[in-house]
Amino acid sequence: MRCKIAQERIVTAAYGELADEQARELDQHLAGCPECGKEREQVLALKALAGAYPVAEPEANLAARARMRLGEALDALPSRRWYERLGQQIRNNFASLMATPVTACLLLLLGAGAGLVGGNEMAMNRARQAAMAQAARAQAQPQPATESGATVEIANISSIVREPDSHRVEVRYNQLVPQRLEGSLDDPAIRQLLMLASENADSTGVRGDSVGLMAAECKAGHGCQKAAGIRDALMVALRYDKNESVREKALEGLEPYVSEDVRVRDAVLEALMNDGDPRIRTAAINILTPVEADTSVRQVLYSVSNTDSNPHIRNVSRQVLNSVPEIQ
Amino acid sequence: MNEQKSAEERMQARAPEMELIREAQAGSRAAFDTLVRQYEQQVLRLALHLTGSEHDAEDIYQEAFLKAFRHLGNFRFECSFYTWIYRIVTNLCLDQMRRRKTRREDRSVLVDYFGGEIDLLASVSDDRSFSNPAKELDRKLLGERIHAALEKLTPRERMVFELKHYQGLRLRVIGEMLNTTEETAKNTLFRATKKLRTQLAGLRS
Repeated sequence: MRCKIAQERIVTAAYGELADEQARELDQHLAGCPECGKEREQVLALKALAGAYPVAEPEANLAARARMRLGEALDALPSRRWYERLGQQIRNNFASLMATPVTACLLLLLGAGAGLVGGNEMAMNRARQAAMAQAARAQAQPQPATESGATVEIANISSIVREPDSHRVEVRYNQLVPQRLEGSLDDPAIRQLLMLASENADSTGVRGDSVGLMAAECKAGHGCQKAAGIRDALMVALRYDKNESVREKALEGLEPYVSEDVRVRDAVLEALMNDGDPRIRTAAINILTPVEADTSVRQVLYSVSNTDSNPHIRNVSRQVLNSVPEIQ
Repeated sequence: MNEQKSAEERMQARAPEMELIREAQAGSRAAFDTLVRQYEQQVLRLALHLTGSEHDAEDIYQEAFLKAFRHLGNFRFECSFYTWIYRIVTNLCLDQMRRRKTRREDRSVLVDYFGGEIDLLASVSDDRSFSNPAKELDRKLLGERIHAALEKLTPRERMVFELKHYQGLRLRVIGEMLNTTEETAKNTLFRATKKLRTQLAGLRS
C-alpha cells in the first residue's frame, strides 16, 4: 500500500469508518512504515485536541426564546386555502399509493384528476366571490378588538403592492395578538414566561417582577435545580440587566447556591469585580462568606481589596481575607 | 437478508414519526410543534457550535424551521426527517459561514445573545470545591486556538469536520446532507484534518 493511500485511510480509521479488510491492510502497512505510524499518532492527537473546543449544550433560555419567536412567526403566516390543503392531501395519498398495484394507482389518478380540475374551477370562483363579499363587509366593520376591547396592534408591514392602472393597493401586515396566561409558580409554562420576561421585557418593572418571583422561588428552594433554567436566568440578569435593583434581586436569589454551584460562585465573583453599583459589590462579598476559603474567591477578594474604587469595599474585602487562614 | 431486516426495523421505528409528519403535512400545527421540540436541541447545538453566536444560532433555528414548515409538503419520506431537517440547517450554516468569510469577520470567541463572551469551558465544570485558575486559563486558550483553527477551514471542510468529529455522523449520512457522495465527504474530511494539523502544530492536548 502506498503511503498516500495509507495516510487517507488513517483518518478514516481514526473515525471508525474503515472497512475491516482495508483496516487489516493498513495495520500491515503501519507495522513496517514509521513515517505513517507518526502520521497516525498525529491524527489521534488532533482528535484529542479538538475536544478542547467542546460542543456546548444550548441553555434552556435560548431554546425557549427561539421556540417563542418561531411560534410568533408561524402564527403570522397566512393559513392555506382549502384547495391547497386538499392538493397536499392528494399528493400525500399518491405517495403512499406507490406501493399498491398499478391499476389502483391509475384509477386514483384519473378520478382525482377529474375531481381536481372540475372542482377546483368551482372552488376558485366561489372563493373569489366570498373574498369580495368579505372585503365589502370588512370595510363597513370596525377593527377587530381583543377581549379587553383594545384594537389589535400592528407588528409590521411586510409589503405594499399597487394594482396596475388602478387606485387599489394591497397592504400585507402582521398583527400582535396580546395573550394572557394564569397559573401557579410551579407551572412550567409560567416559569418559562418568567425566564423570558427577565431578559426580553422592555419595562424595568416587568423584569424586576419576574426576577423577584424567580429569586423568591430559589430562596425557598422551589424548583431551582441546575437543569430547571431559573438559576441561569438569574445569572443572566445579574450579569446583564441595566437596572441595579433587578441585579440585586437576582443576586439574592442566587445566594443559596453559591456553595454548591461553581457557576453561581463565578457569576457572583464577576459581579464583585465588575458591577458598577457598590451596593451590589458589597452584597456579593456578604454572599461569598460561606466560601471565603475558596482559592478563586480569595484571589478575587485580594484583587478587590487593592483595586476597588470604593474604600468601604476595599476594607470589607481585607477584613474577610484576614478572618480566614491562608491555606485550606 | 440482514440488511433488509434492519431496513424494516428502521422503518418500523420511524412509523410514529412518519404519522406525525403526515399530520403536520395535513396542516396540524400541534404535530409540527411536536416535531420542532424533538429536533430543536440538536439544531441549536449544531448551529451554536458552528456560528459561535447565540444570536446567529437563534436566527438559523428560526429560518430552518420556517423553511421546514413551508416545504414540509415536499418531504417524501425518502430519507429520515432528521436527515432532511439537518440538510436545511447545514445549508443555512454554510451560507452563513460563506457570508462571514466574505465579510472577513474573525470571531475567535463565542458570544451570547447580548454580545457577552461565553466561556465554553465554564460548562465543562470542575466539580471540586476549589478551582485551578492557571489550568482553567490554559484550557480556555487552547479552546480559542482550536476555534480559530476551525475558522480557517473552508465552510465545507468546517461543516464536514463538525458533522463527523463533533456530531458523530457517518460519512454516508454527511454526504446525503451535503448533497454529495460519501467519497467526497471522506476526501473533505482528510483535507480538513490535514489543515487543522498544520494550524495546531506544536500544541499538546
